[in-house]
Amino acid sequence: MNEKNFHAIHINRDACIGCVRCMAACPTRAIRVKNGKARIIDELCIDCGECLRVCPYDAVRSETTSFQDLDAFEYKVAIPSTVIYGQFGDATPPGEVLSALRLAGFDEVYDLSSICELNCAATEEYLTDHPQPRPFITSTCPVVVRLIQRRYPSLCSQILPIEPPREIAAKILRSVLPRVLNIPPEKIGIIHVTPCPAKMVSINRPASMKKSHLDGAISIRDIYPQILQALRKGQEGALMRHLFPDTPFSGIGMGWSLSGGETKGLKKHRAVAVSGIQDTMRVLDQVEAGLLRDIDILECAVCPDGCVGGPLEIENRFVAKSRIRRLIDKAGERAVVDPEEVSRLYKQNFLSFDHAVKPLEVSPLAPDPVRAIKRAQRREKIFAALPLKDCGVCGAPDCRTLADDVVRGRARLADCPFVKGKKEKR
Amino acid sequence: MAAEPVFEQELPVKGGDFRRAGAAACKIKALLKDMGFDQKTMRRAAIASYEAEMNIIMFAEEGCLSLAVTPREVRITADDRGPGIQDIELAMTEGYSTATREMRELGFGAGMGLPNIKKNSDVFRIDSKPGRGTRLEIIIRVNGRGE
Repeated sequence: MNEKNFHAIHINRDACIGCVRCMAACPTRAIRVKNGKARIIDELCIDCGECLRVCPYDAVRSETTSFQDLDAFEYKVAIPSTVIYGQFGDATPPGEVLSALRLAGFDEVYDLSSICELNCAATEEYLTDHPQPRPFITSTCPVVVRLIQRRYPSLCSQILPIEPPREIAAKILRSVLPRVLNIPPEKIGIIHVTPCPAKMVSINRPASMKKSHLDGAISIRDIYPQILQALRKGQEGALMRHLFPDTPFSGIGMGWSLSGGETKGLKKHRAVAVSGIQDTMRVLDQVEAGLLRDIDILECAVCPDGCVGGPLEIENRFVAKSRIRRLIDKAGERAVVDPEEVSRLYKQNFLSFDHAVKPLEVSPLAPDPVRAIKRAQRREKIFAALPLKDCGVCGAPDCRTLADDVVRGRARLADCPFVKGKKEKR
Repeated sequence: MAAEPVFEQELPVKGGDFRRAGAAACKIKALLKDMGFDQKTMRRAAIASYEAEMNIIMFAEEGCLSLAVTPREVRITADDRGPGIQDIELAMTEGYSTATREMRELGFGAGMGLPNIKKNSDVFRIDSKPGRGTRLEIIIRVNGRGE
């Protein structure tokens, strides 16, 4: 696997039975079913996890950090996504969830909601300082970043160049902890607790910096049983509550994981929030066609309803959403972050991308334009001869994709059960 | 020297079909990407063809975007059967629009369409017969001037 095609999603061939559910669900048409097994085309996959959601056989494996991986670190720190607060029974206060997470295998756990608020304040400042281009697009969802790099390369320059809260939090901890704890930086593991596998991609192959400040991401699904167990130890829970008496949960940041939550705190700018992969693609198409120029910031998250709809969560997103909303109400709109402090960090470029996000090349039909045009002509001819049933029997998700595969040498026309026997015209 | 290949495709557009607004422009963008055109050419073609498509959807009964691609240029022709344009010079003015209130409420018809097409093309021709229809000819050259 090469540098730019690292993926956190893989097919477990032993478990795959070759049904076509993942292939049909894939929004970038990156999956083919050949010889009874699904296969992902690296170059097309954006790690959105749609295949993971639909596979009934657990044959789509997401590669997140394991408990064994944590052992490499002397001191383990967790910064969980704020979706974690919606995963447990209604009466569980965020402080208790964090304490339980700590008992599940970390030396320290930090809340992300205040950093979310900080990011929001920095975004406000950036948008004021940069009246063009419009709209900017948020970079929190790593799938959106990959999608833009591959499918909307001309929009790379419109990605808001401020690191998402998880990276900012890790960067702060990375600069403070070694000194405070007197432990060498490489022995401190800073781990995100994630609702999706895509964070592994932004950690392993960051698009806007040389090296991520995070050391890994453990899936909520994997650590859920341990947290639950810790929560069930009632008396300890009561004690634990006192461990985080001062954690200032931010009402503004708490809703970050709900669609619209990233931009809700913006007072001076017009925001539009989109969630779900299909809608995200629809809106990015519009932006590429020159629309939405009257919008300052476009918040995109490919999971339905935002991160709260991530594929690695346990609780259904509707219940989780409702719980998080109640926490937001409880925390109120009081700012917990000092605006002057945010301004200082912003002006020092502490929160900015190291470098702009660059487009990732997706192979044209041929490297040479003359041949590429000829292939496009041939592809139209092949497509015209196909039955347009989009049945998937050939191993491609639809007839158009089969025609594309044929001219790219990925498939043969004879793979189509309806044109079998006919000779492919060269 | 062998003749340059030309890729041609016609994309019909139905007047009033707001539901599929942008479909033809998206298709053009995808085709250009597959043919390996650079981002700038692709973006300019996407913007120009979207505006042309929207003009048909908003004002005409029916029309068609025709795409003709050679390795060096992208030619988009938009033909429609519709009311035509009474005063082309006025229509080319930024901010001038004959869009109805309903269209504006949907976010269309800001009066930037034709000027925006012109801005994103290297050659732009417009021919309109009131009461019959409009024909736009847009040429975008690879390494052409940018927006």
